[in-house]
Amino acid sequence: MATNDNQEVQSASDSNHQLTADGKNAQMIICPNCRCKILLKKTAELVNTDIFLPYMRVKKNTSNQESGQVDGEQLSQFWKVDNMFTFENVGFTKTVGSSIKYLICADCEIGPIGWHDINDKTTFLIATQRIHYSD
Amino acid sequence: MDDVIATLKILIIGEAGVGKSSLLLRFTDDQFDPEQSATIGVDFKIKTVNVEGNRVKLAIWDTAGQERFRTLTPSYYRGAQGVILVYDTSKRTSFDKLENWLTELRTYCTKRDVIKMLVGNKIDKDQREVDTLTGTNFARRYQMLFTECSAKTCDHVQDAFDELVHKIIQTPGLWDTEKSNSGLKIGERDGEAKASSCYGGCSLI
Repeated sequence: MATNDNQEVQSASDSNHQLTADGKNAQMIICPNCRCKILLKKTAELVNTDIFLPYMRVKKNTSNQESGQVDGEQLSQFWKVDNMFTFENVGFTKTVGSSIKYLICADCEIGPIGWHDINDKTTFLIATQRIHYSD
Repeated sequence: MDDVIATLKILIIGEAGVGKSSLLLRFTDDQFDPEQSATIGVDFKIKTVNVEGNRVKLAIWDTAGQERFRTLTPSYYRGAQGVILVYDTSKRTSFDKLENWLTELRTYCTKRDVIKMLVGNKIDKDQREVDTLTGTNFARRYQMLFTECSAKTCDHVQDAFDELVHKIIQTPGLWDTEKSNSGLKIGERDGEAKASSCYGGCSLI
């Protein structure tokens, strides 16, 4: 169930993002659920890097929390900004593990839509597969 | 973006269970249960709002449950320009604790003229233990903005929130020296460590 739900979200997102001449996002980046503005046009840079993100939905009554395992997937394409105040709206979860914070929608709190390591103050990543675009 | 005139740090405090997070941070329509985020817990949010045609970035910090253990650290308060103080109108004890929270604010806030807003929450509940007048009077005594609301009347919260941001923007000493400061550090909760330029005194009501 959880996997299916997650795939729905992914397939619904428009992965045919458009780039400006200097490699920035040509369209506004919005929440796939509530359309809250996450990043304005031309504010983020497209980067390829492999990062594991938990699925956006989890099974109820899952025993994974006890075992310490999280269901998720490896994602490889992200929008990167180097200052958290570049975001129009975004939420940060509490720190997971030693230094990771997941990024979520500031309004509906769907997520993780992105990733941040508190040891790297200039890298904030939003997964291209987990957001939508708008003009 | 260049047209952002200020970046403000706003805190939400109050006793555990008064509805701080649900009331002020989440406007979910429940169509999509944000289970993953709820499991991990939200630390803070960045929101961009419009104040009289100016874009203002807010960093809104919830206590993330730390108030249960009375472990809010001084750095949590440091640099805050606005504070939203929440109590439960159906629970007198949460109102009685407000004095303690104000003492803590006075102790740790680095900006003396921090703008405060008092929010009486859960007015949709049947058993009222704190009436509107009591809340109003308390807010006036401590120079706070005031509103009452419930999860069903979130509009009030949004209005009050806008008013809080307005008041901060109208109090130049509170933010204009920090215009370029985006040094709010994540994790350490140690941003804006430099001493503020306090103009002293309170500025509203």
